[in-house]
Amino acid sequence: MENARQVLSTCMGKLVFFCMYLPNPATMKYFIWTMKKTIIEAKNIFKSYDEVKAVVGLSFSVESSKCFGFLGPNGAGKTTMMKMLYAKALRDKHHESELSVLGFDPENHELEIKARTGIVPQEDNLDVELDVMQNLLIYARFYHIRKKEAVKRIGELLEFMELGDKKKAPIRALSGGMKRRLLIARALINNPELLILDEPTTGLDPQVRQLIWDKLRLLKQQGVTILLTTHYMEEAFQIADTILIMDKGKKLIEGNPVTLLKENMEPYVLEIIDKKEASKVKGNGKSGVRHEDAGERVLYYSKNVNELKKMAGKLLPGTHHIRESNLEDLFLRTTGRKLNAVQ
Amino acid sequence: MLSSKNVYPPLINRIMGVWWRHMKVYTKNLFSNGFPPFIEPLIFLLGMGLGLGAQIKLDAFDASSYVAFLAPGLLMTTAMFTAAYECSFGTFIRLEFDHVYDGMIGAPMTAGNLLVGEILWVGTKGFFFSSAVLLVVSLFGVVSTPLALFAPFSGFLTGLMFGALSLFITSFVKTINHFNFYFTGLLSPMFFFSGVVFPVSKLPAGLKEAAEIFPLTHTVRISQALCFDKLSFELLYDFLYITLFVVIVTCLAVIRLKKRIID
Ligand SMILES: Nc1ncnc2c1ncn2[C@@H]1O[C@H](COP(=O)(O)OP(=O)(O)OP(=O)(O)O)[C@@H](O)[C@H]1O
Ligand SMILES: [Mg+2]
Repeated sequence: MENARQVLSTCMGKLVFFCMYLPNPATMKYFIWTMKKTIIEAKNIFKSYDEVKAVVGLSFSVESSKCFGFLGPNGAGKTTMMKMLYAKALRDKHHESELSVLGFDPENHELEIKARTGIVPQEDNLDVELDVMQNLLIYARFYHIRKKEAVKRIGELLEFMELGDKKKAPIRALSGGMKRRLLIARALINNPELLILDEPTTGLDPQVRQLIWDKLRLLKQQGVTILLTTHYMEEAFQIADTILIMDKGKKLIEGNPVTLLKENMEPYVLEIIDKKEASKVKGNGKSGVRHEDAGERVLYYSKNVNELKKMAGKLLPGTHHIRESNLEDLFLRTTGRKLNAVQ
Repeated sequence: MLSSKNVYPPLINRIMGVWWRHMKVYTKNLFSNGFPPFIEPLIFLLGMGLGLGAQIKLDAFDASSYVAFLAPGLLMTTAMFTAAYECSFGTFIRLEFDHVYDGMIGAPMTAGNLLVGEILWVGTKGFFFSSAVLLVVSLFGVVSTPLALFAPFSGFLTGLMFGALSLFITSFVKTINHFNFYFTGLLSPMFFFSGVVFPVSKLPAGLKEAAEIFPLTHTVRISQALCFDKLSFELLYDFLYITLFVVIVTCLAVIRLKKRIID
């Protein structure tokens, strides 16, 4: 009887608390703000190395708990942009430039930013003179995390990245995929609000890539904002809420990958891998079928798959196939199909 | 969860974090790393002291034996060489080959914090190396005053000076072979003309003045004063030189090397 009364009174307390605070406009406003707040705001960013213009007037903004992906050919300026966010590279002085990361300008607040950010660089920079555990322990120390807490957290992170049995392994004994996962574990040691990943899955096998995507999705659900660069269209499609395709330091196109695809590409494509064979249908510039030359291949895009099937009927088997258009088509279309000098 | 997410570690912790990293790497192979500072002076003292020392007239040296004269200087040159190696070849490898600095700079620390931590570490290493030499020479029975126990602090200062100087030199170096010029062109002369193997006061005019410019001269003087029990107020001048040298050269090294760490 006594117990029941106690339970009842606690419940009432909770209810009163709930009713008092939830409808409070100030609380709600804060709640909404935390949900929608902008983590990175970049306006007109420039960066040049001597003669090379690596980044040219780039602007973008990243919202909290979202995944933002940078795409672009080699030398487009992706890494340079990432580096400027945590003051590993200094942006050019330009009167129109503005940069804010977690509310701070990296130029004079690099420590505030780095304390709350995790960084996975394009080039592995693990400490080869130390083993896996020592690498993470030293890194935890850089954040001033107490040893006991660090050991516990490192244990969790190694499990999370499925490296639990590698604690004592020297860095040189790790495979490329393990190093990549360890770099991600290292970047997570300070429970970052923002995770910057420069090509996190380049050179990794499909299993590891899937694993990393899963982990990144999980982190996003936990409220971590993710910024990544990639050359894998599939990766961008799988985990990015917004993608930005850039080339020669400039933004070409930006938006949700699904929407971008829908708005800029016909859904079907007839891909002919034999140029000679393609000449058979060359004259057939039917309305609604767009023709694109790509080196040795010829592509026909259309909304109408039957139209493409009709064309395909005239071709020898094995020289062509019809598929849905994808992000790679969009990428190649926006960045151009030929290599340029800096790639 | 970190309780205070917004704050980054205070300055001293950032610098000591770097110090800690170097300490961990060094003590990882304690046996192979800790051996040379004991063995090298032993070989040197046996070679120079017993061989050459027996042929030398002692009037010029103001010491009980040539080995006794060499001892305090040897404490300093050992500190000098370890600091110089660590902050030239070592730094260059961390900077250009292993990308260790790139990794460290992703944590909340500035390039300046990183380099100052490195200099502090080689100071510590200088202290440890001169302690090891002190232990070895004590076995020869050539140091008797308890004041000599403080000589490793001069080794610490030697480490700081040559750490800063070597970082400054490193900031100019494009390929690792260039360090040969530094070692043969600058450090070897210092070894011979800083009062280690021969008293500065007995050097010919011109060289005597030049010796005052060498950083090593000043810590050797402090070390000799401690080992020979001859403290004087004139040593304040040496301390002043050391302080200014460390501060100025550290600043120059940080300014120049920062440009190589930050794009
Ligand atoms: N430290 C540097 N010094 C000189 N030039 C540089 C430096 N870093 C980058 N660049 C130049 O800046 C341009 C952009 O390089 P960046 O590394 O940002 O490209 P990226 O988009 O990351 O390419 P990738 O996909 O190959 O990684 C390139 O032309 C590159 O040569
Ligand atoms: Mg890159």
